[in-house]
Amino acid sequence: MNAFESSLLWLTNHGYQILLAGLVIAFLVRKPQARRAIVRAFLIFGGIVVGAVFVAAAYGKMKPPAGFAWSPASLRISLAWFAMQVDSYQVLPPRSVNAVAHFLPYFELFLGLWLITGIARRFSALLASLSLCGFMIAITSAYFRGLKIDCGCGVGPAEQVGPDALLRDALKFLLPALLVAIGSFWIRGKGRASESPAPEMVSSSAST
Amino acid sequence: MGGPNSTGRGEDELNHRLQRCRAETGSAGGLAKGRRTALAVAVLTAVGFGGVLRVMARPAQSSADTAPVKSAARKTSTASSSKAVTAPPALSAPVKSYGSSSAPIKMEVFTDYQCPSCRNLFEGTLRPMIADYVASGKVYLVHHDFPLPGHMYGYQAARWLNAAARVGQFQSVEAALYDNQNSWEADGNIEKFITAAVPAADFKRIQKQMVGCEYQGPAGTKPASLRADPQATHGCTLDSYIEEDRALGMKIPVQATPTYVITYKGQKLPAGSGNVSWPILKQFFDSLLSQ
Repeated sequence: MNAFESSLLWLTNHGYQILLAGLVIAFLVRKPQARRAIVRAFLIFGGIVVGAVFVAAAYGKMKPPAGFAWSPASLRISLAWFAMQVDSYQVLPPRSVNAVAHFLPYFELFLGLWLITGIARRFSALLASLSLCGFMIAITSAYFRGLKIDCGCGVGPAEQVGPDALLRDALKFLLPALLVAIGSFWIRGKGRASESPAPEMVSSSAST
Repeated sequence: MGGPNSTGRGEDELNHRLQRCRAETGSAGGLAKGRRTALAVAVLTAVGFGGVLRVMARPAQSSADTAPVKSAARKTSTASSSKAVTAPPALSAPVKSYGSSSAPIKMEVFTDYQCPSCRNLFEGTLRPMIADYVASGKVYLVHHDFPLPGHMYGYQAARWLNAAARVGQFQSVEAALYDNQNSWEADGNIEKFITAAVPAADFKRIQKQMVGCEYQGPAGTKPASLRADPQATHGCTLDSYIEEDRALGMKIPVQATPTYVITYKGQKLPAGSGNVSWPILKQFFDSLLSQ
């Protein structure tokens, strides 16, 4: 595993722990300005963590199999292999499987980079939350139908879907995305509230 | 009229005639005797010759039938001397594959014959693949047994399959097992489907291998096909092939069935599991072959 893969793996495995710690600290801090500063810092970090999750997912799907070098041909092989994993969920017909398999990795890469840059973070985080909800529904459905499948989550080793994997995925991926989305909208709301002055201040300044 | 003188002349003549007659009779008797002798000799010769011919024309089978053959060498020499005798070939390790081993893609599938997903994979994906990509030499399909503990008759089905594979009936028996899975998994009566799938002579050879391989399920779950052979004191020799496949699967590791491992020109790809449809699998093979 190279340095890039190791970094991605660390962020996806431990990033949610740091975010949860930041959430606790933000609740403990009393001063509103300090609280907002902490929330902003952790939203930036949270955007990077959730972005890393999506970049890792895209990388895991596009990466050529062992023994193959990066090339357009190896990318076709990787995406065809991912199509087999999607097909194993037995949710979609073959044509839709291909559409999802060839669209999803590029979508994940785009969304991950969007989150990392922080541009319009609340929208990117919202989209990330919705995507992860859809993913969790799909693997939960596969589990309850008794399918033994590889969850195909990303860079790390493949793992079979089960209750432990479902709970872990929800904690590592869905919770940070929700926290970043909620936090982004909260901070945006707080920012608008601080920008517009209070009505009594306007009338008192007008009377003087 | 004659007198006493005429009688003498008559006697001489009579004697002469008698002598002649005796001589003639004697030679005729001698002749007859010779003819009888010759005839007897001829008859005896003919009988003897015919007997010799009969003995030479008798097949050697009778000697083989009466004397039990105790060694393969004797069997071979006996068989070689007569076209009617064909000794059964010695049984080798089971061959559980489809297609040519020189194909660029090798697909190894670990399955349990009582597993519904494995049946779906075989019926929906492997069958068209065999007809298309295996037949055209693109894919070499290898089956490995991986019976799961939760399937009561999965191991027994694998035994039947290995026995059939040793006599060259792997493909027909595998198809029979999957096609009739719903039936035999209810009562464990696998034998009747094997009987219907293979020729009678091959079934006898399969059945002979199954001596000592009777179902050893929990009490009260005796399948209809169980025939305990009191003389079978040795273990099932077919289990070694199944355990060999399981050991191979544990190295991967196989965590569920079906699991497949695809190798392309010596490069082994990560193992995949679950059912995959033929169009998607075909697309993957095409992407490999276009490298």
